[in-house]
Amino acid sequence: MEQITKTFQAGEVPGIIIIDAHRCKGCDTCKRHCATKAISGMFGAVHTIDAAKCINCGQCLINCPFGAPYEMVDAVNTVVSKLKDPNTTVVGIIAPAVRVAIGEEFGMPPGSLATRRMYGAMHKAGFMIFDNNYAADLTIMEEGTEFIHRVRAAVFGDEIPGHKPGPLPQFTSCCPAWVRYVELNYPSLIPHLSSAKSPQQMAGAVAKTYGAAKVWSVRPANVYTVGVMPCTAKKFEASRPEFRSAFAHASKEQGAGSGTPYPDIDAVLTTRDLARLLKEMGIDLAKTPEAADESILAQYSGAGTIFGNTGGVMEAAVRTVHAVLTGEELAPLEFKPVRGLKGVKTASVTLLDTKFKKEATVNVAVVHGLRENITPVLDEILSGRSPYHFIEVMNCPGGCINGGGQPIPAVGSGWLGAMSPLLAWK
Amino acid sequence: MSAEEYQYIENPMSVSRREFLSISGALIALTALPAAVVRRMAVKRNDYIRARTAGLYKDDTNAKVRVSHANQGVSRLYQDFLGNPLSEVSEELLHTRYIDRSRAMA
Repeated sequence: MEQITKTFQAGEVPGIIIIDAHRCKGCDTCKRHCATKAISGMFGAVHTIDAAKCINCGQCLINCPFGAPYEMVDAVNTVVSKLKDPNTTVVGIIAPAVRVAIGEEFGMPPGSLATRRMYGAMHKAGFMIFDNNYAADLTIMEEGTEFIHRVRAAVFGDEIPGHKPGPLPQFTSCCPAWVRYVELNYPSLIPHLSSAKSPQQMAGAVAKTYGAAKVWSVRPANVYTVGVMPCTAKKFEASRPEFRSAFAHASKEQGAGSGTPYPDIDAVLTTRDLARLLKEMGIDLAKTPEAADESILAQYSGAGTIFGNTGGVMEAAVRTVHAVLTGEELAPLEFKPVRGLKGVKTASVTLLDTKFKKEATVNVAVVHGLRENITPVLDEILSGRSPYHFIEVMNCPGGCINGGGQPIPAVGSGWLGAMSPLLAWK
Repeated sequence: MSAEEYQYIENPMSVSRREFLSISGALIALTALPAAVVRRMAVKRNDYIRARTAGLYKDDTNAKVRVSHANQGVSRLYQDFLGNPLSEVSEELLHTRYIDRSRAMA
């Protein structure tokens, strides 16, 4: 096992979020948004974040009334210089939640769908487009198949040679804050996490293998992948040492010693970072005409795009798992019980497995807002009373659309409970 | 002060029943006004979350392809490169492992 110092592996960014001591007024708002009790400091005194406990979600950052927390990692200048380098293919990987929020930075109303404007603006800036919705679809294929294996093993005793399915319930693993939360606080539940990478990391690995060879016809080492994410924790995720898989794959194909190692994702820009980059380059998103992108890596389904909402990953997975097991599409495709802003949403689907000619009832749960909602769900699993088979977890209230990298709303906050802002002791 | 010198004088500021009612009505309205503003702020606090959520669901409704397994680009990736889900190449490129960080925290 690798050396871990202060909960970080070698090579990882040791914490993303810090608090500016000059701006902090000690109002304790951030503590009320922190899922891991990583923030310390008395009421009225300057607060600090313990990076060892922090899961980098950035909820403190977007909810601080004084704008005191900020990100230590800022890749805007590096990406601008890479865009100017003619030998580098810069690939922008656009996450689902970015397209409905980035408009706010350019004076458009919240929720305006700016996918095609983003394509236009990013083409103009010099990016190749890799829509992360494509990787979301890919995630569903991998994670859904993994789930089917786990269910068939548990319910029908099905065995796949050379493949040991993990335990149920299976957790989604798209949210890097959630993954780090489990690794820090519930190591015994690690086998429950889906082994599928998050869409961002899948996108990076595909871009530097298949994308480089078949789509852009360039050397993988000259591809510079930029995740455009609604999320500060993605900056941490990209630095995890296990995410060098495209390089490892290339080395295996071509033999050892094939150049300097490169990460799957070279840089991560939050929604705010990309808006700043476009403004620095003199591109106004609101005035950019809409553009299409013909790349196969920009094709996406409606199931991929809803990944940014709480319940979206589950809904996309249910659509595909239903079709694979029963041979019929889910009708209607909208899976309403997992939509909305309730803290823990649950649903049951009965599926007739065409392979085993037997019915299986799958109980799913969707959790968002880790701070308020996750503990009871995990306690149920630890005590063996959990009725669920598949649990989607997103750290941020409302899902990625309210992520720590999103534009900071001028009015409003991530407090979902009606009375939450008033319950100062909680 | 002796008892003879004391004279009771009625408070010259008297309010009729009708005046009392209208004054209290005005006071109640004044207090209710900020309460309504605060309530409105509390209710609208998450509007940006709802608007963004609705934006993504709209994108889904408008999409021609609405399920992941029908994404032609993904199918081509499996045909040309990965094989099928959980294949050896998939495991290598699209799956990962996790580490126990809890001991370092204690």
